Amino acid sequence: MQRADRHPAPALAGPGRIVVDGAPVPYQAGDSVAMALIRAGAHPGRGGTLCLAGDCGNCVAEVDGIAWIRTCQADCRPGLAVERHPARGGPPLHPVAQPDVTRPPVARRIPVRRVSVDLVVIGAGESGTAAAANARLRGRTVLLLDAREDAEVVAIYGGPTVIVRSSTGMTHVHAREVIVATGAAELHPVCPGNGLRGLLTGRAAELLHAAGIDLGVAVAVGEPPRDVPCTVVAGRLVRIEGTERVSAVVTATGEGLAAAEVRTPCETLILGLGRAPRDLLARMSTGEPVAVIGPAAESFPLPPAPTAGIVCPCAGIGVDDLEGVWQRGFQELELVKRASLAGTGTCQGSVCLPHVRAWVASKSGTVPEPFTARPASRQVTLAEAAADVHLDVFKRTPLHDEHLALGGRLDRFGGWWRPWTYGDHVAEYWAVREGVSLGDVSTLGKLIVSGPDVVELLERIYPNRVGNLGPGRSRYALLLNERGHVIDDGMICRETETRFVLTFTSGGAANAEMWLRDWIETWGLKVQVMDRTMSLAAINVTGPLAGQLLGRAGLADPPRYLAHAHAEVAGVPCHVMRLSFTGEASFELHHPVDRSVELWRTLLDLGRDLGIRPHGLRNLFGLRLEKGHVIVGMDTELDSTPHRLGMDWAVRMDKPEFLGRSALARTALLPDSRRLIGLTMTSPVPTEGSPIWSDGEIVGHVTSSFDSPLLGRAVMLGWLKRTPFPEAVEIDGRRATVTRPPFYDPEGLRARA
Amino acid sequence: MLALETIPGVRAAADAAAIDGMVVAEGAVVLRFAPDEVFIMFPKPGRELNEGFAQAIIARETGFVGCWLTLEELAARVVAHIDWALPVERPALAQGLVAGVPAKLWLESGRALLLCAAPYAHELTERLR
Repeated sequence: MQRADRHPAPALAGPGRIVVDGAPVPYQAGDSVAMALIRAGAHPGRGGTLCLAGDCGNCVAEVDGIAWIRTCQADCRPGLAVERHPARGGPPLHPVAQPDVTRPPVARRIPVRRVSVDLVVIGAGESGTAAAANARLRGRTVLLLDAREDAEVVAIYGGPTVIVRSSTGMTHVHAREVIVATGAAELHPVCPGNGLRGLLTGRAAELLHAAGIDLGVAVAVGEPPRDVPCTVVAGRLVRIEGTERVSAVVTATGEGLAAAEVRTPCETLILGLGRAPRDLLARMSTGEPVAVIGPAAESFPLPPAPTAGIVCPCAGIGVDDLEGVWQRGFQELELVKRASLAGTGTCQGSVCLPHVRAWVASKSGTVPEPFTARPASRQVTLAEAAADVHLDVFKRTPLHDEHLALGGRLDRFGGWWRPWTYGDHVAEYWAVREGVSLGDVSTLGKLIVSGPDVVELLERIYPNRVGNLGPGRSRYALLLNERGHVIDDGMICRETETRFVLTFTSGGAANAEMWLRDWIETWGLKVQVMDRTMSLAAINVTGPLAGQLLGRAGLADPPRYLAHAHAEVAGVPCHVMRLSFTGEASFELHHPVDRSVELWRTLLDLGRDLGIRPHGLRNLFGLRLEKGHVIVGMDTELDSTPHRLGMDWAVRMDKPEFLGRSALARTALLPDSRRLIGLTMTSPVPTEGSPIWSDGEIVGHVTSSFDSPLLGRAVMLGWLKRTPFPEAVEIDGRRATVTRPPFYDPEGLRARA
Repeated sequence: MLALETIPGVRAAADAAAIDGMVVAEGAVVLRFAPDEVFIMFPKPGRELNEGFAQAIIARETGFVGCWLTLEELAARVVAHIDWALPVERPALAQGLVAGVPAKLWLESGRALLLCAAPYAHELTERLR
């Protein structure tokens, strides 16, 4: 048996009082909330048959602020607050207070325990207990779960993984096998008047009678309850009469013209209409090693096909609704469910499935298999569903705390926490352009590739030449896929004849590694790969005074432009790469992560009189934009070719083969339809993503924009997607000039200085 | 709160067969991250690999942080945050998400090493708090 008890253990000593809709309601020891309400002459829900077994949704209410709780499964305790759901519609949503960002989310506060066992048995009844004992005798680790023992299974997912709720939190059980032994549920009636109050299943009547609750004038239809005083009437159920509460039941005997109806007045109607397997959990486990045993596996006879009344009380679906969807052509059980929504409510078909199957069988002549169920089998709160679910991990560079100490405002880029600015972004800009600055580029992807076939590999991978690159030299390169689309970029640094260091973008490193490994395996090349991204930190020393600073740090002979070397800088072993993303002389110092703080602090100390200060991404993005350098993923689209980016110079079509070459050769014959262009205009700078207009039409959008302190105007990259490419465009209602980048130092003299 | 510290070692990428035949100093702990990659913790600093395999990439590695745990600490602080079954044999290397963070567990008979890349250290520590 399943029960939705997520609350602390009841005050068994009772009696006491709960608060229902703001008014006190007394309860006796052992009462559930539903029983206390019935004892007080009220109905816990809107109406309909009560099973008091947790099978139906007819007793749901808001308990302690949580809606859709089956009150028959919630134990009373002093002061428990219950709000009954309104007669129509769902319970009202409570306004959510402004979240307190200084505290962890609620979901974090629900503990999750993880357990691995051979076998999970759900249901500690006769068959479940026997199955568990038998498995233990065979040496298997077994977990026997039962809601009555504060272990309520709310879902089974693939694996199988069994999700269990208890008063102390959630448990995720990984099992090799699951046995569902949840017994059988009593059938509810489907006939006119089945939504009235005062209707009980036989078992519910027995429970209430045993609890000393007076049922008044009780009449039983079908199999009578045990030991409950009532009048048993013969015949089949025809309809139930009354206004809000039952006042009489009409039964019939005989068939056709011989049928005779009998009306029997009553205050409580007890229904013994048969049983159906309680197999909801099994129905959500298709394809998993989940077995069903005991009454849950029995094939009980279906009830008579309903002809009138509410079939699915949770969703309020009547026989007329089923007829309507059938007439519209939904003539299979699963389609009837989807089209009518019968079986999609609180109880997920526990009540209506036998009746809908019987109805479909009467229409089609074939008894359909039960429809599937979806997790969860019980209402779970978002906090329970998200308990212990972790957010994505964002990596920290070894300089994380240094950035914070310098007033850095950090944000997430490419899977890393990175400094956006240190407060005075204008000063950061001028430090790069006129002095010297440090940038934390530890996030760059860094791979070592080595082996006898490494040149062949790289010649096939990259669209530019690799074999003619001498040891100690480096080259910028695009990474293309087979369609010739740019998927990443970075540097190729040759160390020896058979060993290279490759760099990639921060967000693209993991994919680049997989890309290389896949092709090495596909081509059967003898090349080893080692990802050093998280092993090595990197500091970019950039600015016209960068060389002077490095000289003070002991690097007397820094590599020239596009060269690299291994050397000590301030006593720290570094792989020094001379390149330029900012447009100024730049030296990337790749070094072990455990030495990074030491190197960073030393360089800042040594450059103090040079006006050194670190720069964040805000300026890095702007500095490179002045140079017209693209950022893959920011300025590129999924199908950007080098030609569309204006980067034909990075492709050597005279190479016999490389990934994407065939596609580039083919698309080169097609007319241009898109082009990444440079744009300038007066300040203020448009935001990235701004539409580009021409002749009253949107012809593209801005991908990057920067208010250049040096140039005194806005510089941008953007896509033009209408041909012929217009020369005069507008952005934000102002004229912008299409300009060929770079916007700054087009000869690259400063980078080479 | 777990105190994760740098676990120095040597990392090598080489042909799988070469790694199979690799000879290391006595007492070294060898973690086979992948068929073609290994991380070796030497009992004494400064020890090097026997470079018996050609075209290997061998690098001193300080990019991992970790801590040794007793089995009780492992059960109490780590296992509850793992959604996969731990291997039963010992010693064994297990790799996967711990509290949603990529991590590795080196399981010996009486203790375990929890290991992760340095950029994940803060997040792992926070989540296992």
